[in-house]
Amino acid sequence: MNFCLVCPETTPVPENIIEIRNLSKYYGHSRGIEDVSLEVKQGEFFGFIGPNGAGKSTTIRILLNLIFPSSGSAKIFGMDVVRSSKQIRSRLGYVPSDASLYDKMKVHEFLRFGAAFYGGTRSEDRIRELAGILDLNLERRVTELSTGNKKKVNIIQALAHRPDLLILDEPTTGLDPLIQSKLFGLLTEENKRGATVFFSSHILSDVQVLCRRVAIVKDGRIIRSDEIAVLREKQLKKVRILFTENGILDNIEITGMESFHRESPRSIVFMFSGDINELINRLSVCSVESLSIEEPPLEEIFLHYYQ
Amino acid sequence: MINTILFRMEFRRNLRSLVLWSAVICALIFFTMSLFRSVLEYQQQIMGMVKIVPMAAMKARGFGNITDIFSGLGFYAANNIVYMMLLGSIYSMVLTSNILLKEEYGKTAEYLMSRPISRDEIFTTKSALACLNVVLLNIIACLVSYISLEVFKSGDFRIQPFMVLTLYTFLLNLLFGALGLLVACLIRRARPVTFFCVGLVLVLYFLFTISRLSGVKGYFGYMSPFKWVNVEVLNPSYGAEFWRIFLFLGLTVLLVILSGFLYRKKDILT
Repeated sequence: MNFCLVCPETTPVPENIIEIRNLSKYYGHSRGIEDVSLEVKQGEFFGFIGPNGAGKSTTIRILLNLIFPSSGSAKIFGMDVVRSSKQIRSRLGYVPSDASLYDKMKVHEFLRFGAAFYGGTRSEDRIRELAGILDLNLERRVTELSTGNKKKVNIIQALAHRPDLLILDEPTTGLDPLIQSKLFGLLTEENKRGATVFFSSHILSDVQVLCRRVAIVKDGRIIRSDEIAVLREKQLKKVRILFTENGILDNIEITGMESFHRESPRSIVFMFSGDINELINRLSVCSVESLSIEEPPLEEIFLHYYQ
Repeated sequence: MINTILFRMEFRRNLRSLVLWSAVICALIFFTMSLFRSVLEYQQQIMGMVKIVPMAAMKARGFGNITDIFSGLGFYAANNIVYMMLLGSIYSMVLTSNILLKEEYGKTAEYLMSRPISRDEIFTTKSALACLNVVLLNIIACLVSYISLEVFKSGDFRIQPFMVLTLYTFLLNLLFGALGLLVACLIRRARPVTFFCVGLVLVLYFLFTISRLSGVKGYFGYMSPFKWVNVEVLNPSYGAEFWRIFLFLGLTVLLVILSGFLYRKKDILT
C-alpha cells in the first residue's frame, strides 16, 4: 500500500495514479482524441510524446477538467476527474504549455497568490529556493518577463506546494539548455521524493533523458505504450542487407517489415518487428554479402511511429 | 462558496476600472446638475424653446411634462437615464462578461483552474465581486446625486421617489450584469465581448427611446428592460411597484442560475 506524500497520515494511494479508459474528445466534428487508454503508476516518470496536434494537450486538459470528455473516463488518485476535480487539484502541480500570467502583479505576488490556494506558509521558502535554482528575479513585474522567465514562473508555481503528481505540458519550451538541465534535476528530485511525473513533449531527447515509460500519441490515438528500453531493445530492429551482385532480391516481403528503403541497387534498409528466424529463413535463398541487425536510435523509433 | 483568495485578487484587479467609471459618472451627474441653476435662471427663454419641441421628444428625454425640467428631481431623473441607467448598465455588462472571459482569452484559466478551486467557486466568487462593484458604483452615484440635488435644488424634493428611482436603476444594472454573465458562458471560444455588450445595451436603450418617442403603446417598448424602470418621479403616485422589482430580481436570478449551470459544463478552450 502506498501513501499520499503531502496530505496527511494514512491516505491510501491507488497503484495507478492516472487511469484513462477509452477517452474521446471531439470539438464539433473535428477530432481531439479518440479512444485513448493509459495508466500511469505511482512514482512513475511517464512520457507522453507525439507531434504537434496529436492530442497531448487535449488529454491533459481533460485530466484537469478544463474540458469535458465526449466519451470514456479518466481518474487521478482513483477519483473521477470531472466529479472530484477540486480534490485532485489540491495534490497536483501543472505546467501549461502556453499559459499567461496575471498582469499588474510582481512575480512574488503572483506566486504567493497561487500558493495561497494550498494553505499554509511552507511554500514561501520553497518558492525562494526554486527561484534561486532557476535564476528568476521575484521582484520583477510579470509583464516584463520573457517567454523563458514566464515558463520558470509556471514551473515554480507547479512545484512550490510539493504535489503528489506533476503534469507537465511541453515544460522545456523557451528555456535555455542550462535551465533545462536544472529543470530535469528538479524533476528527478521530485520523482525520487515519490512524486509521479507525467511529462508531455514533442521533443524526443527530453523524454529519452527522463522517462522510463512512454505513450506515443498520433492523430488523437495512442499508437504505442511501453517502456523505452522495450521499445528500443525488443521490438523494432533496424535491418540493413547488402546483396552480392548476382543475389539481388527485388521483392522481399515478410511480416513485421516496415519503413522499407533501398539505399542502392544492392542495399536495402528496413525496420523489423517480426520473427528474426523467419527473416533468416527468407534470406537463406538469396546471396547476401553482409547483414546487420541493430537497435535503432530512439529518434528513429519515434519517427517510425510518427510516420 | 466564495473563495476569499480569488475575491481579494479580483477586487484589486477591477478596482481601477470601478474608480474610473465612478469618477466619470459622478462628474457627469454633478456637472449636469450644476446646469440646473442656469435652467431656472433662463426659465422663460427655455419655456419658449421647449414649446416647439414635440412632447414625445420630451418624454423620450425623460420628462413627463414640460414643467418637469424646472423641478430639481425631474431634471435629475431625466439625466439619470443616460448616466446611471445607460452607462451603469454598460459598465455592469462589460464587467461581468469580461470577469469570466478574461481568464480564457487571457490564457490564465489554465493557471487558475489547476488550483484547488471548483468551477462553482470561481463562478460564485467572480459573480459576487461583480455584484459588489455594481453595488459600490450605485452607492457612490446615489450619494453624489443626492449631494448634487441638495446643492443645486430650487426647493425641497421628495426623497422617496429619488430612492425608488435609485433602486430601479440598481436593479437594471444588476440585470445587465446577469446578462453579461450569460453572454460569457454562451461564448464557446472566448474573445473580448466589450463591443457586443456596449452594442446590446445601446440597442435596448434605443428601443426604449423609440418606444417613448413614437408614443407606441403596448408591449413593444417592454422588450427593453429600460422600459421596466418607471422614470416618472414627479407623478404623485410614484413608488416602488412589486411587479417591476419582481421582474428585475426574478430575471436576474434566473440568468445567474442559468449562467452558473452553463459555466459548470463549459469547455475552457484557451
